Amino acid sequence: MSVIDHLSGPEDLAPDEREAVETLLYRLADDEFVLAERYTEWQVRSPTLESDLALSNIAQDELGHARLWYDLLEDFGHEEADLLWERDPETFTHSTLVELPFESGDWADPIVRSYLYDEAEHLRLQALEDSSYPRLEDRVGKVQGEERYHREHATNWLERLASTEEGHERVQTTLDRLFPHALTLFQPVDPEIEARIDEYGIRTQSLDALGQQWLETVVPFLESLGLAVPIAEDGAVTADDLPETIGRDANHTEDWFDLYEEFTYTYHDLGRDSAERIMSDPDDQ
Amino acid sequence: MIWEVFRQEKPGGYHTHCGNVHAPDAEMAKLFAEVQHGRRKPTNSLWVVPQPEIAEVDAEDTTFGGTTDKSYRWAMTYTGVDASFAEEVAESQREQETADREREEVTAGGNS
Amino acid sequence: MDIETVKERAAPRAFSPKDDMPEEYRKAATRMIQFHANSEIMGAYLERPFIRQAPSLDRKLAFSAKVQDEIGHGQLLYRAAESLGIKTREEMLEELATGDGKFLNCFHYPMEEWVETPMIGFFVDGAAMRRQATLKRSSWEPYAHAMDKVCFEEGFHVKHGEDILRELATGSRAERERLQEAFETWWPRIIQFFGPTDDKSTHHDFASEVGLKQLSNDELRNAFLNAYIPKAEKYGLEIPEEPRIRKRDDGTYRVVEDDLDWDEFFTVAKNDYEGSHVQIGKRHDTQEAVEWVRTVLDEHEQTSMGTAPAAAD
Repeated sequence: MSVIDHLSGPEDLAPDEREAVETLLYRLADDEFVLAERYTEWQVRSPTLESDLALSNIAQDELGHARLWYDLLEDFGHEEADLLWERDPETFTHSTLVELPFESGDWADPIVRSYLYDEAEHLRLQALEDSSYPRLEDRVGKVQGEERYHREHATNWLERLASTEEGHERVQTTLDRLFPHALTLFQPVDPEIEARIDEYGIRTQSLDALGQQWLETVVPFLESLGLAVPIAEDGAVTADDLPETIGRDANHTEDWFDLYEEFTYTYHDLGRDSAERIMSDPDDQ
Repeated sequence: MIWEVFRQEKPGGYHTHCGNVHAPDAEMAKLFAEVQHGRRKPTNSLWVVPQPEIAEVDAEDTTFGGTTDKSYRWAMTYTGVDASFAEEVAESQREQETADREREEVTAGGNS
Repeated sequence: MDIETVKERAAPRAFSPKDDMPEEYRKAATRMIQFHANSEIMGAYLERPFIRQAPSLDRKLAFSAKVQDEIGHGQLLYRAAESLGIKTREEMLEELATGDGKFLNCFHYPMEEWVETPMIGFFVDGAAMRRQATLKRSSWEPYAHAMDKVCFEEGFHVKHGEDILRELATGSRAERERLQEAFETWWPRIIQFFGPTDDKSTHHDFASEVGLKQLSNDELRNAFLNAYIPKAEKYGLEIPEEPRIRKRDDGTYRVVEDDLDWDEFFTVAKNDYEGSHVQIGKRHDTQEAVEWVRTVLDEHEQTSMGTAPAAAD
């Protein structure tokens, strides 16, 4: 359906096309990676053994997705070392929703966070299904294949948590805190580059359109659980609704820098200059 | 009412699904299952389970084991080290190889 | 069934929840399987920081998958223990959090650096797997069934552990030196994994008479050393001088047990070592922090149970 011509492979892109593709890939990869990094904090700490296994699996899914997106950045000559381990933490463009730490025992947080995130993830992947950039094509389907579980997991948990008084209260508190950060999922890294991403057809829906669809999905569902969504009656999002730091523009909370220190610790401690691979390259599968 | 029947062939073995019977209650279901599913095949024990109590998720609903590369979960991925030094490690790897092969056969044509 | 009959009939997978087992058997089996289940959970506490600290994406994925498996093993084992009718899973998890539940000696010590991870991931897991393979023939059928799945998965753990060991052992000089240091710290604990020689082990005789376990501590330790000493040597690790390990004429090993610190071992066994308090404290705090979720689930279960039969009719 796209009226836009397909872009060529990574080696033949014009510089501003390449910049648009890279920006989009970093958005995707950083979100998935940092979210997964946070999720793993629940390993061995979840409410029951079964729920531990499930959230661990979701973390691994998201890490696997990050791996696929970072791998596409390797097309441009990057290596894992400079994409993650030696990268300046001030250049990551993930949303602040995924970098916030969890309070001990606050199980409502990973559930609400996952719900808000995975609904957005589902929509933005749909907007990549007919991308003009050929390298995205086969990977979007694989990633989307694992998102159904994430969304069912989050909605089922939300329904159960919200069905009791204490659970409801905790979910509401978490929602109030996380919702402004979830809005940053649809913020631009750089408005001019985002416009180019749309113009070249790399993404077939604009961030604004995606944000609108997302609100149309999550607001009615959350309200159906008796929750109040902290947003204006008419659903309009203004700068006042956003948190102080939005992440997307590479400004981050202190918590991100602490997290970055922790996950790069061993790599630097051992004086590594490359990241050990176990699995085969996604293109050789 | 329909009752699903699970048969254990030998003591210590697993109960695996072998069929079902129509019966009005558990007592009758056991009597019917004993004859219908235990009269010839080796049987040590039968379980009967009311079918409406069974919840199912199948390959149409999901892709078991995921759609992206999860080879880090499998022993055979670690090709730089050898499993043969300990029989139990080697056996585990053989079991995983079989499971992986069978899994691929099941999902062939699907999301592989 | 009386205890004499149990001993007569003791064989691999001979007893299941439908058998009327004497309390002595059920208690002994509960003690053994609960210990095993607890160890899966407490081992995961030691390893979980290294999901975050893994130095590559693939290693991170593997570490996460491994810790996930250990929790899965806990799930299988608590169920096998629960089926003996002595304690519920909730009671056993509660005992673990309060310090009444016992677990493997190695998991009472802190693990702080990446270079230490193969000590658990390769040597301790390797030792555990040796033992678990023999428990596929346990007389308590649910335990043996749990072992089928545990052993199926565990091959990945041991190979993953060895792969990290290989990487470090072929790495920089600093990596190799730190690896050797970690090995020296952990080696005596790994030897003690199998417990004291048989005559000092309090529960062995009964457990083996009723077929719960198949091999003695000493036999298992020997089987472990036979396979794993050559591995350590292959990666250039020097076996510490103590405990002294003598090779017998038949090629098997004998450990000079007096070289090991058994006071510490028994302090650990009583959950009374410094590290025991730290590790159990962690478990206690994380369990307590999510207690509210379990209450919510229970409440939800009560409500939906009340409506389910009506819906089914």
